[in-house]
Amino acid sequence: MNEKSEPLRAADLPVFRRDLFGGPDPITAIGVDFIGGKATGLVRAARVLEAALPEGKFKGIAVSVPSLVVLATDVFDAFLDRNDLAAATSGELDDERIANAFLRADFPSELIGDLRGLIEKVKTPLAVRSSSLLEDAINEPFAGVYGTKMIPNNQPAADLRFKRLIEAVKFVYASTFFREARGYRSVAGRDRYDEKMAVIIQEVVGQRFSDRFYPTISGVARSLNYYPVPPARPEQGVVDLALGLGKTIVDGDHCWTYSPAFPNAAPPFTIQDLLKQTQTEFWAVNMGRQPEFDPLTEEEYLSRAGLAEAELDGALFPVASTYDPQSDRVVMGMGRTGPRVVDFAPTIQMPDIPLNDLVKQLLQSCEEHLGTGVEIEFALSIDALRRDPPRFGFLQVRPIIEFGDGEEITAEDLRAEGLFASSDRALGHGVMDSITDVVYVRPDVFAREHTRAIAGEIDVLNRALKAEGRECLLISFGRLGSSDPWLGVPVDWGQISQARAIVEATLPDMDVELSQGSHFFHNLTSLKLAYMNVHHAGAFRIDFEWLDGQPAHAESERVRHVRLEQPLTVAIDGRNMRGVISK
Amino acid sequence: MSSGSFNPFEMAQAQFDNIAEQLDLEPGMRQLLRNPLREYHFLIPVRMDDGSTQVFRGFRCQHNDARGPSKGGIRFHPQETIDTVRALSMWMTWKCATVDIPLGGGKGGVICDPHHLSAREQEQICRGWVRQLARNVGPVQDVPAPDVMTNAQHMLWMLDEYEHIHGGHAPGFITGKPVGMGGSLGRTEATGYGVIFTVREALRELGIRPQDTLASVQGFGNVAQYAIRLYNQLGGKVTCVSSWDQGDQTSYAFRKQNGVDIEELVSITDRFGGIDKNKAEGLGYQVLPGDAWIEEEVDILIPAALENQITGETVLKISQRVKVIAEGANGPTTPEADQVLFERGVYLIPDVLANAGGVTCSYFEQVQSNMNYFWERDEVLGKLDVKMTAAFEAVSELAKKRGIYQRDAAFMIAVDRVARACRDRGWI
Repeated sequence: MNEKSEPLRAADLPVFRRDLFGGPDPITAIGVDFIGGKATGLVRAARVLEAALPEGKFKGIAVSVPSLVVLATDVFDAFLDRNDLAAATSGELDDERIANAFLRADFPSELIGDLRGLIEKVKTPLAVRSSSLLEDAINEPFAGVYGTKMIPNNQPAADLRFKRLIEAVKFVYASTFFREARGYRSVAGRDRYDEKMAVIIQEVVGQRFSDRFYPTISGVARSLNYYPVPPARPEQGVVDLALGLGKTIVDGDHCWTYSPAFPNAAPPFTIQDLLKQTQTEFWAVNMGRQPEFDPLTEEEYLSRAGLAEAELDGALFPVASTYDPQSDRVVMGMGRTGPRVVDFAPTIQMPDIPLNDLVKQLLQSCEEHLGTGVEIEFALSIDALRRDPPRFGFLQVRPIIEFGDGEEITAEDLRAEGLFASSDRALGHGVMDSITDVVYVRPDVFAREHTRAIAGEIDVLNRALKAEGRECLLISFGRLGSSDPWLGVPVDWGQISQARAIVEATLPDMDVELSQGSHFFHNLTSLKLAYMNVHHAGAFRIDFEWLDGQPAHAESERVRHVRLEQPLTVAIDGRNMRGVISK
Repeated sequence: MSSGSFNPFEMAQAQFDNIAEQLDLEPGMRQLLRNPLREYHFLIPVRMDDGSTQVFRGFRCQHNDARGPSKGGIRFHPQETIDTVRALSMWMTWKCATVDIPLGGGKGGVICDPHHLSAREQEQICRGWVRQLARNVGPVQDVPAPDVMTNAQHMLWMLDEYEHIHGGHAPGFITGKPVGMGGSLGRTEATGYGVIFTVREALRELGIRPQDTLASVQGFGNVAQYAIRLYNQLGGKVTCVSSWDQGDQTSYAFRKQNGVDIEELVSITDRFGGIDKNKAEGLGYQVLPGDAWIEEEVDILIPAALENQITGETVLKISQRVKVIAEGANGPTTPEADQVLFERGVYLIPDVLANAGGVTCSYFEQVQSNMNYFWERDEVLGKLDVKMTAAFEAVSELAKKRGIYQRDAAFMIAVDRVARACRDRGWI
């Protein structure tokens, strides 16, 4: 992987020519320095495609990396150098103030014309993404830590489109210094000067339906699956699919997860659960009237719509099946009325659009190219009337962190006497034996409606630990870092920066699918934290009684912090996904 | 301000005649375009600080306004002549047409030396100038701007007088106002940046990376200073600049082989762009005679001072290394020198294109002033870059297609546009 891990420079890419779609090169650069992790991933994706599918086609599907231009890190440096942003980058202001200071700053004059030139020629939605040095770097994927913004770019006035583009770029720059990013760098042992931001401006793959612009299918596929459902094996990988923009998957909302080796396999839960768990809303770029000016929000130009809208758009037919209450079965397609289930069966189970074969081939080609397990992102746009062939946009490829060798934990070990906790759904690899601080949400007083308050309480305890330079084991209920407070505690990285080991548990009142698939989860693994997942009705337990018996070092209404005299031992066997914590 | 037998108006007319021939313009059109449409000559009596009265001579030429209100600066210079003003007003017409902004060409001046005038005396000249012309200039007729030895303060005095006479606010009457008083962000940088936008495009065309180039600049006023800043930001290095020394009444060139430090030089420069030669020597600069800038071993020459600098004689001193000349000043190259440069294959970016950033941004300022709605700096400079680059591409394309000199290509585009406007209006 040495050749591929070399950071790429903009000087190695063709120079941007002020027309995103007109030139012969789909990937161009402005500036000369580094292009950052995500852009490197896109260049890699383009190279894989060139080798695997030189014609840009796969059995009737047009395959490409959507056109993009990268603003290299020297543009970011010039932006910081030439504006008075010392206060904003000092780490003392809150996110809104930082973003405001960046929005008021001037873009480097020698490059501003390139962006203006681009905007005068391009009138379709654009994704403005972060591509930092640390982000998606081989060993430290900072996935989803920095800002990304989709802009509709459909206003008739070039001035307005230009303003929105510039605001989006500055927003991404500002996000380098947001609280969450600072917290994440602190966990990773990186300081502000280790990080530089490149920005990708890329065409969004999709189609416009009335006031919405979105791809029919977005997907994330991994060549290694640490949660395989039998008969699938870890090396057969896993695919998450969602209707609309990929934000649904990234945020860890309901999406369709399946093994590419078994696309026809029924999901491992009941029809009733399937109806509850199916995707019911999707994200799109809002092409209509903007609700209000809010340049500080990532979702400023996004809108959420329900399945009825997608059905009206004609975008649902390749992705939906229908529940038939009479037979209590889910029937492929939308030939009858009834509740729709977004299981992608018409596409992944039928030969018409061989998406699954394409994904398998890309996973394999990327694995060969990178020499390691990979994660890819993509979007597929299917024209309802099939006037154009389906268009597959290859959006990212990044390596999956492999765990090192370590001690094996057997099934018996999980049931050993005197354990504090054990789990057969653990991630990470290795042993930690220095943690004496445990921060945990009290199960006796936990309630879904309090998750925002709990996030605040965790934050307070985390700050105290940070001030002391201590690390902890964190135990919480539901999905940590969930953007939906009803599904878990909505903390960000900065608020749990001192956690070295994390246990996510469920309660009868908080019985949700845990964090797999979200960026939060991705970061968890890439920071090499120990992670365990304990279901309240499963075979393994957390010894809360013992914990409650320990004197509190600090305590708030719903969260306790105990400091043990003897450190806990946290051991994870990544290959078998088993973990134990011994007192 | 012409020196010796050099008459800029004759040069401008000769240039026009040449282009008119190439475009095969009808005789009436030639007659119309080779002279200003309107000229105003007037006297401005001023009571001086010592109680005496001095009478200054002022001019305004409106060369052509078929494409929009006349636009051009007001110069304060002791050697000002009507022929210089005529020539400059004609070049303004071509310049506005080259970058395709809806303005015509004008120019004005007063024979005076601001070095020897108090602020109050200068204010009286400004107000007197407007009183003479208040009915012949304005946002929809003729829009003045700062030029040689005039600045934002002069523009404000003029605006104030104009508004007094007309009884209402009219910020679109004049450009080059201070930011916050109707001025545009980006205006100060615009001319210098515009020069470098075109240099950047020329280098791109020649396949040369800016960071591999050296440049020498004549002049150290606003245009030169901002041009050097942006050129440095692109990675280029300036090894020599020249500037006028008011005390010695001569110019000097300041050379530093490893690149001049713009901020350092600005810190020892007076408000007219004169670099303090003693301090410069102290900072390690080699101080040479003023015309040494032209002999530098560099890739790019930027004459950004006065007209008539690259002549049939001085052109021979230009190093073989020079590949690009960008005319930051108006009319710095004579036709004889042009011939030599063309034959040598030097890429010339003519004044009507290279220094059109100023008037383009003035146009933006006027648009903002007329709307009383002001843009952010990014927006102004973004538009400026796109406008300049598009104009460069049009000139370059025509030059390549016809195998002609860039100056001729720029003039052909401009004269053709103006002639069409005159025809469309039914003037000819």
